[in-house]
Amino acid sequence: MTIADGLKAAALLFVAAIVQVSIFTQVHVFGGVPDVLLVTLVAVSLLRGTIVGASGGFFAGLLVDTARLGELGLTSLVLTLAGYWIGRYGETTGRDRAHAPFLSVAVVTVLYSFGLLLVHFVLGEPAPAGAMLRGLVPSIVMNLVLAAPVYAVVRRLLRPLERADLATEVQLLG
Amino acid sequence: MAPPNRTARVAVLASSVQRSRSDRHPSRARSAAVRRTVLVLLVLLALALLTISFRSPTSGALHDVQGYGASALRPFQVAADRVARPFRDAYNYVDGLTSAKAENAKLRAELKTWHELALANLAASKQNGTFKRMLHYEGGPTFPSGYRAVNASVISFPSGPFDNQLAISAGSHSGIVAYAPVVDAYGNLIGHVASAGPTTSRVMLISDPESAFAAVDLTTKVTGLVRDGQGNTLILDRVPKEASVRQGDVIVTEGTRNALYPDIYPYGVPVGQVISVGTSDIASFLTVQVAPFAQLGSLDSVAVLVRKP
Repeated sequence: MTIADGLKAAALLFVAAIVQVSIFTQVHVFGGVPDVLLVTLVAVSLLRGTIVGASGGFFAGLLVDTARLGELGLTSLVLTLAGYWIGRYGETTGRDRAHAPFLSVAVVTVLYSFGLLLVHFVLGEPAPAGAMLRGLVPSIVMNLVLAAPVYAVVRRLLRPLERADLATEVQLLG
Repeated sequence: MAPPNRTARVAVLASSVQRSRSDRHPSRARSAAVRRTVLVLLVLLALALLTISFRSPTSGALHDVQGYGASALRPFQVAADRVARPFRDAYNYVDGLTSAKAENAKLRAELKTWHELALANLAASKQNGTFKRMLHYEGGPTFPSGYRAVNASVISFPSGPFDNQLAISAGSHSGIVAYAPVVDAYGNLIGHVASAGPTTSRVMLISDPESAFAAVDLTTKVTGLVRDGQGNTLILDRVPKEASVRQGDVIVTEGTRNALYPDIYPYGVPVGQVISVGTSDIASFLTVQVAPFAQLGSLDSVAVLVRKP
């Protein structure tokens, strides 16, 4: 991971956060909202691993919370965990798998929605589970539609690391 | 001892040779430790921010920093909005064409009704002014004459089911304070200012589950409490079963009834129209469903009502 890579990842997440807050939040289809920031975070995490994923999720969440004037740290918390988890998947099981971005986007959309629901519930804020569940499938579909172009752009900017640079858990001896 | 058909590689995997934990893969162990440390630090930082932000949502140093941060991000949001606007306008244009004919007929019928009503209101308003002068009536601030409108564009929209708040491009520098009423371009109620930064503010919509305010049926003068309802509707709650509320009645804000507990909304801000009235044997109150006049899901600009000195 070079400084140039870090700057590229930061720029990608910054643009995605601004676009998400300004444009995509107005797109409501059958109760679902596409999340280009989440999809970009998945792509960055898959290509650059846990530390970049978690840090990117934290700062992207902070940007979203700041722009929306919402509770600081709420989106950061959930996106940090999402970035870390997807980064770990990218470093181990998901690397070199063509379906990894799509699987990650689908799973992380569900986990992200439930994560937000849980945090709102714990904070004693309104947590409309019914509305969230109704919009979940359309959100997954829209995020999956975004996954291919977003992953292609991110992959073009952040070329996949050599296998030796990636952390692994399994090492064959002999 | 390994069976004869096993490969040498597997035999090595199965060997009982033990290596010390520290020198097995020192760089990988270090990498795992760094990874977990970063995660824990970021999660703790997010929790700390969340705690501070949650405990003081409308004031404090963090709130001020957030306000300045939002101001710094605003140019980028405006730029993104300008890029997207032609596409949105094109979509709205095509969408409008498909329903234009039916909408035209409906609006013509409505115009006839409203025209008759406007004439009746004009006469009543003149009579009301005369009565007030005769009685030397001292009223509180009224809508809209008692307020100055601060017009602002919407810079961030509700993002999903958890979010019923907007960010707007005007703040305390324009005279906006917390709890100031917010209306749309036609004067219909949208909500109130939840917190005001220097150049941006957060608006809680009337569809937020935490929002509740007193309202009155203009026709029957029945009062109730407006809160969020199913879908894109509101509920006029606490209306006794014996009260008379009819479909089509207009609901407006009730304003302050007790000077000790002033309402944040003045009297007479249009809220919505009754679309259904229901009840059941076991319910204590009527279920009055109200369709809000304001299009809460597609607001481009709003007006914050700042009380005139």
